[in-house]
Amino acid sequence: MKKSRLRFIAPIAVITALVLAGCSTSNLGGTAKDDPAAEAGPIKIGAVLDVTGVGASLGVPEQNTLTMLAKQLNDDGGIDGRDVELTIIDNQSTEDGAAKATSKLIESDKVDIIIGASRTGPSLAMRPIAEAAKIPMISVAANVAIVEGSKWVFKTAQNDVVVLERILDDAEAKGYTKLALVRDASGFGEGVAEYITDLGAERGITLVMTEAFEPSATDFTPQMTNVRGSDSDAVIIWGINPSAGLAQKAYVQLSVNKPVYHSHGISNQAFFDAAGDAANGVIAPMGRLLVADQLAADNTQREVIEQFQADYNAAYGEQPSGFAGHAFDAWHIAVNAIEAAGTDADALRGELESAQWTGISGVFQMTAKNHSGLDATALILAEAEDGRWNLLKD
Amino acid sequence: MLTDFLQLTVAGLSQGSVYALLAVGLIAVYTVRHVINIAQGEFAMLAGLGSAWLAAAGMPLLLAILVAILSVTLVAIAMERLIIARVKKLTPLTSIILTLGVSTLLQAIMLLAWGPEAKGVPLFPGTNILIGGVSIRSQEFWMIGALVVVGGGIVLFYEKSRWGKALRACAEQPVAARIVGISPVTASVLAFAIAGFVGGVAGVVASPIYLSLWSGGVLLGLKGFVAAVLGGFVSFRAAIVGALLLGVIEAYVAGYVSSGLRDGAAFLILILVLVVRPQGLVLKPTAVRV
Repeated sequence: MKKSRLRFIAPIAVITALVLAGCSTSNLGGTAKDDPAAEAGPIKIGAVLDVTGVGASLGVPEQNTLTMLAKQLNDDGGIDGRDVELTIIDNQSTEDGAAKATSKLIESDKVDIIIGASRTGPSLAMRPIAEAAKIPMISVAANVAIVEGSKWVFKTAQNDVVVLERILDDAEAKGYTKLALVRDASGFGEGVAEYITDLGAERGITLVMTEAFEPSATDFTPQMTNVRGSDSDAVIIWGINPSAGLAQKAYVQLSVNKPVYHSHGISNQAFFDAAGDAANGVIAPMGRLLVADQLAADNTQREVIEQFQADYNAAYGEQPSGFAGHAFDAWHIAVNAIEAAGTDADALRGELESAQWTGISGVFQMTAKNHSGLDATALILAEAEDGRWNLLKD
Repeated sequence: MLTDFLQLTVAGLSQGSVYALLAVGLIAVYTVRHVINIAQGEFAMLAGLGSAWLAAAGMPLLLAILVAILSVTLVAIAMERLIIARVKKLTPLTSIILTLGVSTLLQAIMLLAWGPEAKGVPLFPGTNILIGGVSIRSQEFWMIGALVVVGGGIVLFYEKSRWGKALRACAEQPVAARIVGISPVTASVLAFAIAGFVGGVAGVVASPIYLSLWSGGVLLGLKGFVAAVLGGFVSFRAAIVGALLLGVIEAYVAGYVSSGLRDGAAFLILILVLVVRPQGLVLKPTAVRV
């Protein structure tokens, strides 16, 4: 009998070891040389992205974008005649993977600046490491906690607070007073309920219930059953794909029948792939990339967006997502700052604090206080219809 | 209140049906070869991703599903012929290491072939229905139906057909089975074919609402493993009941306690069963003691 129990325990131990196995690295630049000279040799840009795991629908287009831009830049002669060496590490969508990757980029690759990570949780894990090493970091994730009070960390995705303001303004205009929230249980969803309570107070909106889901979740019946039983007027689903898309599908299939908002975490094709027809009628704030064809002809972002769409489509045969846009902006903000200030960490950091960039996710104006650089004007409201987004309000 | 309870029960039963099919595959292989097949969950993901890919390439849904299930069955047979059959002295530990290797290999192939993003088979035909506030998704009928037809069919096969009885003979009295002329090679191939087939069916019926992912097989396989343990690794019936119970308990935990504890529930059950009642839900001991 004793032996038989051990037989069952062995595979669990083996599988646990497998699941916890380390993270993989891919070096996409030239050869990694140990070059301590600060202002000579190649410029080293490191990136930590969620290429596999729950953040894959974000990390893959971000990896594509950075790889494409690095090639473009080197084909054009690099920065001041110096080649740019890009090293991308997959953090496997884990916090410890992101922390390890950041340490590796700083200690063995000796990068000048770090881009990443794709999601809030891994970005928060990277922040103290970048700060301790005094290396500038530009996250491509959303939660304002990534940059709040930091000297060294910047980010390019629109803040969750402005996204929520946009949603709550619309909810107020439509007369909804009670909202339910179904949120990502990872870093991306942290603080969202508190913001809704705070921002809702001045608009006469209360949060009546909060449900959470793991980003790896596949069944959303429990959460949606609870939402269906609540007395809310409308629902906010706050997550990334595929989980947010699956949540939307369950929402419709379980006949919740209330208006639904999503966050900017769904601005990619994966949302339609996961949700299918259930996506119709969803309203979400997002950057202008996915509705570029509907923008006013004189919109300041239109040119840069259309150029990016053409380049990305030529390289990968598909349209870029909002996340690709966050990586595009992070790359250009980093490269512009290096062009102006070189690779000395302090000078580079100072330059980033005054960075101005008309990009994909908005018109950035970084300051010493605002390391996100975007305000509510970076967002539009769009409604999903048959696999595409219709611009509701610019 | 009652509506919510029934809604969670429906979700649990459909999810449990998927676990049950995987448990059937695990037990089929274990009883004949004493191999704990870690790659069982990968069979499901392989079928899900394969049929999603074929369907996206323009193949009619039914054909894509059949081709995918058949291919996975062949993969399982190949795994038996090329790897398992070649090991002279197969202990449970070597079997775990070997099948773990196959599982990792299949994951790597799926990652290379279809990328790191989750993909789903289109919804099967059917309409969602609403009874007294409880909504049942058409795909949930397909999932439960797959268990009834495929799982039930395999139980009948084992109990009624000549081949099924031969498989049971191999499991219970391997030496005697050989003496009466049952080929252990055929029995082993058949067991793996069943494992591949049920894994494939589970993968394609679950894919439209739960999606398929290269790395998704490990957790799914573990849930099937918990169900198989509930069946004492010998009884299909007990494992199927255990799998449905597991699915329903997970849904209640997620709905009434916290969705974050959902996966924890399965492993808590596993630990409790192994410590308190290693024979699982099996009521009377059979000839095969695992």
